[in-house]
Amino acid sequence: MVQPPIAPGPLAVGLTTALHRAGLPTTPERAAGLARALQLVPPRDRAALYWTCRIALLTDRAQLPVFDAVFSAVFDGMLDPADSRGDPTAPPSIGSEPRTRPVPPDARPSSPGTAEGTPGSGGGDDGADGVEREVLLAAASTEERLRSTSFADLTAEELGTVRDLVRRLVLSTPERRSRRTRPSRRAGDRLDLRRTVRAAQRTGGDPARLVHAHRRTQPRRLVLLCDVSGSMEAYTRVYLTLLQGAVAGARAEAFVFSTRLTRLTRQLSLRDPDQALARAGATASDWAGGTRLAHGVGRLVADHGRRGLARGAVVVVLSDGWAQDDPDDVADAMRRLRRLAHRIVWVNPRRAAPGYAPLVGGMAAALPYCDAFVSGHSLAALEQVVAAVRESAPSRGSPRAREG
Amino acid sequence: MTAAARAGAEEEVQARLPDVGSLAAALDDVDYLADPGLATALFLAVRLPQPLLLEGEPGVGKTEAAKALARVLDTPLYRLQCFEGIDAAEALYEWNHPRQLLGIRLAEARGAPLDEDDLFGPEYLLRRPLLQAIEHPGPRPAVLLLDEIDRADAEFEAFTFEVLAEAAVTVPELGTIRAAHPPVVVLTSNRTRDLHDALTRRCLYHWIDYPSPDRVAEIVRRRVPGSAEPLAVDAASAVTRLRSLDMVKPPGIAEVIDWVSALSILGVTRLDPPAVEATWGSVLKNRDDQELARTRGAAWLAAEG
Repeated sequence: MVQPPIAPGPLAVGLTTALHRAGLPTTPERAAGLARALQLVPPRDRAALYWTCRIALLTDRAQLPVFDAVFSAVFDGMLDPADSRGDPTAPPSIGSEPRTRPVPPDARPSSPGTAEGTPGSGGGDDGADGVEREVLLAAASTEERLRSTSFADLTAEELGTVRDLVRRLVLSTPERRSRRTRPSRRAGDRLDLRRTVRAAQRTGGDPARLVHAHRRTQPRRLVLLCDVSGSMEAYTRVYLTLLQGAVAGARAEAFVFSTRLTRLTRQLSLRDPDQALARAGATASDWAGGTRLAHGVGRLVADHGRRGLARGAVVVVLSDGWAQDDPDDVADAMRRLRRLAHRIVWVNPRRAAPGYAPLVGGMAAALPYCDAFVSGHSLAALEQVVAAVRESAPSRGSPRAREG
Repeated sequence: MTAAARAGAEEEVQARLPDVGSLAAALDDVDYLADPGLATALFLAVRLPQPLLLEGEPGVGKTEAAKALARVLDTPLYRLQCFEGIDAAEALYEWNHPRQLLGIRLAEARGAPLDEDDLFGPEYLLRRPLLQAIEHPGPRPAVLLLDEIDRADAEFEAFTFEVLAEAAVTVPELGTIRAAHPPVVVLTSNRTRDLHDALTRRCLYHWIDYPSPDRVAEIVRRRVPGSAEPLAVDAASAVTRLRSLDMVKPPGIAEVIDWVSALSILGVTRLDPPAVEATWGSVLKNRDDQELARTRGAAWLAAEG
């Protein structure tokens, strides 16, 4: 038995505030709901209190660890420890965990062609008439040069320009027939009885005009899986922008992995790209760690893909394939993904290097399951990615991967 | 809105389900074993009342929970299986067009006068689950199960919630149909897409975990009455062992039930390697998984837990 009777209102507000501080999206509305729930289920012991709070406050399974930790921190001091039945092993301060995203080393040596300075991002128009043309030309050539510069060799300013350009890329997937229909007069389609009768009412109940139902088409789902491990760091800076644009524009699903898999769709769906990237950075805590490719792909399939997320989808994997896992595990995971997905596009920035051959264990194991293998190391190369995503017919047949 | 518009459950429901314990006992009586978390969730869904969003692996009994709740309340269960492209005609109501056409022809043949109102009367209305749940006459609210809501489009999700929040449907030809007893709503989701914030905000949420082997054995004993007692325990612990492997499709409670049913029909009373060899297919329904488990061997699976 709890010694002091706790009033539901203050209890609900107190717990909700603590959860909010720990980063859970709780609202006053939910607190009010909890207060009402507590009147129905009096918190006789810790278990009753725990379940009522959890059911009333959570909206997602992913919030469980934080909730458990906060709940335990708030209540375990107050209650009789004899009837404690939660897991006391939960880390007490999950909310305060340091989650700084490592700052990418932007101070890279500029590439040989940077002598003319920064790209003409500002101030071209207010210059004197004589130099305006030159500035424009310089800007054009800068963009031209940036197109073919590898993302790894970009300076901080160039990176900003490139990100703006990447944001303009539109990823669109091939279409498939959807379950929804639209009216059509073509006789080949199924007869739409409902619409036919509606139309017949105008002609005195005589179905003079037959209305057919034509299946609409819908773009296939796009799933992006980006490797954010240490070896990919130079490219991740740009790829995240690509992910963000795809999520906001093409309703894609975005995941990142290095040692574990994180779904970033919700974080990246904000309109403001900088804010979205900041939120994404705060969510995935294993930036620039090791690469567990098989684990990342495997979790994607097991936790999301099999439930329908990857079924018939175009899956784009952005990774250099340098994995710590056993190549056989990578092959297993890729085979499972292959069975679900419509197409798999693999983007490997290292492919552009002269003399590159996909010999690294993970990459060699994954390649047989990919429909397209492109480099995507520069702006120009990203356009190949766009083309690969749009391509409709999967190259079913023996040589699955095309060098193209 | 749902919760605010309706202050608490009706008295008859309150009398039937005074507290969480009585609901858990009542669920037990209809052979559904609910852990305290799920019992609390269902209790709050009925008594607050507020829609309940259930998530969990396939086969942990999300749909069964709604069915058991309907049996406890002794009311009908209206189930709407969502799919891509589902629309109001499939969820709410549709006019029975062939019957209307027939009605017109009949009236012509008989020379009887036919009013438009005659054609748009209740007898020509095809009621779909949402409307059925709203029209349910009582005395207790019906249970409405929206299965796999994540498969429907986002627009349909919003439409459904509007209907449920109002607990009323307007059919232009008939007028507004208002629920005398707003249904108890249970939603399930497989998380193929993020549900809309507006939906999650209005719902209670519960994640159903895969239960412990003891509980699985107890569930199996209830569901397969003829099975031998030790067999249920063996099968439950064997499946727990299988779930520790990296499976494409980890076997769920449904598979344990299938498996024990199959073994019972074969007259097996204890799980031994030959029995396992003969029945791989009832517990593992994927070739990769079977191969993986076979490398461990039937003896490993049948080992006394």
